[in-house]
Amino acid sequence: MKSKPVYAAQDKRLGLDDLAALVQDGDCVAVGGGLSSREPMALVRALVRAGRKNLHVVGSAHGIDIDLLCGAGAVSKSSESYVGFEQDFGMAPNFRRACESGQVEMADGCCYTLVQQLRAAAYGLPFMPMRSVRGTSFSAMHPEYKTMACPYTGEELLLVPALQPDVALIHAQYGDAHGNLRIEGPPVTDILAARASVKVVATVEKLVSNQELQALGGANVPYLYVAALCAVPMGAHPTACYPMYAYDRPHTAAYYAAASAGREAFERDYLQTYVLDCPDHAAYVERVGGSGTQQRLASWSDSNTAWMDLYREVPA
Amino acid sequence: MSDTCSLGEAMVFNLARTIRNGDLAFHGFGSPLVQLALHLAKRTHAPDLILVAGATYGINPQPPFLTPTSNDWALDRHAECSLDIEELFDLAASGRMQRMFLSGLQIDAFGNANVTRLGGDTLRLKLPGGGGGCNLSCDVGNFTLWTTAHRGAVGKDGRRMLRLVQQCDFVTSLGHRGVDGSSRAQLGHQGGGPDCLVTDLGLFDYDAEGHARLRSVYTDTTREEVALNTGFALRSLDVLEPMPMPDAQAVAIIRALDPLQVHRKELRPADNERWFPLAA
Repeated sequence: MKSKPVYAAQDKRLGLDDLAALVQDGDCVAVGGGLSSREPMALVRALVRAGRKNLHVVGSAHGIDIDLLCGAGAVSKSSESYVGFEQDFGMAPNFRRACESGQVEMADGCCYTLVQQLRAAAYGLPFMPMRSVRGTSFSAMHPEYKTMACPYTGEELLLVPALQPDVALIHAQYGDAHGNLRIEGPPVTDILAARASVKVVATVEKLVSNQELQALGGANVPYLYVAALCAVPMGAHPTACYPMYAYDRPHTAAYYAAASAGREAFERDYLQTYVLDCPDHAAYVERVGGSGTQQRLASWSDSNTAWMDLYREVPA
Repeated sequence: MSDTCSLGEAMVFNLARTIRNGDLAFHGFGSPLVQLALHLAKRTHAPDLILVAGATYGINPQPPFLTPTSNDWALDRHAECSLDIEELFDLAASGRMQRMFLSGLQIDAFGNANVTRLGGDTLRLKLPGGGGGCNLSCDVGNFTLWTTAHRGAVGKDGRRMLRLVQQCDFVTSLGHRGVDGSSRAQLGHQGGGPDCLVTDLGLFDYDAEGHARLRSVYTDTTREEVALNTGFALRSLDVLEPMPMPDAQAVAIIRALDPLQVHRKELRPADNERWFPLAA
């Protein structure tokens, strides 16, 4: 394992494109958030605009973030435990195509296996033991998993090697200039990934003072893991970042329609329109509807009816 | 329609019946049927259920409505307390989780399931992957399998594409026999494996060999139709039992929990038109 530094600088604020430059071609990347929630989408789009290639993505249950990276040709290996759009839209079209064409090496993980592997990296140990997995097809898919007889009980255990991502990409609701992050709601694997990775690169909805951060309840990712951060309001769109905004289901439906129509249609109707033709995040926010969209997605807190209205089927 | 229930509602009810009062149960993500089953159980026969939400890991939440995706704060609303991903899986690994729910694009006779890939050496279809299902299938006390696509769709080549298969192309989650035929006891797993399979055609348990055994069919289907749609030799009770059906109160609870009817997306359109008489 590479030795992991600590990040002591007082002011870690950088621009979004400068954050993307901290991710190298070929890096092992833990993308934060999960499914339709708090995924670092502005950072993902910045990586695509920067032309990043050969990323090895690792994580638990993901959706549009990994699918978009696959559709942009940025991924060469996936150890995600799930990439899809649940029962709502179904399988991830770009991820599927990339795996089936051989562009992406399939090295599927499982959530607890991932937890144990990240823990090993966070603990500075070469592996962690566990019981599960033995008897399934994952053992053949992952020859790096080993078994051993427990020296105390004699029972057979599975050993999984430490997994130390080069970078964890995290989108949090709040952060301060020093790099302290406050994630509200389910942290998914973000806090563990922060401890396991060489560095955290973060975007936040709102940059606040440390005093304000304390008043909000304090940091759950201490600044010493964080190499750099940038304030990017709407930085998780179209995934949710409560309490600021809910999941943008109509935008995701449009994404899904473009991705399902094939590689060329996706590149033309989504990738070009919403990523490559937007020089920066502000241009993206305008392209997806600007303040009107922001207000619509913020309306979840008005009432349960308003919240439900965001998810009703859109007539074709 | 107050004296009938839909197939989806009947499946929710039968999934809920597999939960015991006081269990710690986890509903995973991507299945509104299972989410509804846990909330129905909690509001009926299992008030002490320790209900852990699938993607938020909130405990005993009271969602105002079901959302189309699982990691949404609506599903975490009014949770008493919360776990994180490490603690949730540690609970299962240390033997403190009694029930979980799993599905697959392929499910074999011994309850192994595949959500990873179709095709043997040559990949035919990349599936989304299993989340934590592999780990939990080994560790959890028992789990319930379900599928909404037991009735095989007939493909362009006229072949019936079966969900219940002789052999899975990839074993994502473990049933009663490992890929090399080892039993759970031989593998040293603490979990007891699948004890129930709920489908759009019927209800199965597992016999002493760990093989699926048909117990009940819906009133609009037959043992023969189940056999035709099952890729392994069907085992069944000599005399099938009546399919358990929800009462009006249970159906009212389900409808109140899912005003957007997101659970209907988990079923095929034709199956959403199947209605059954309620229990008295």
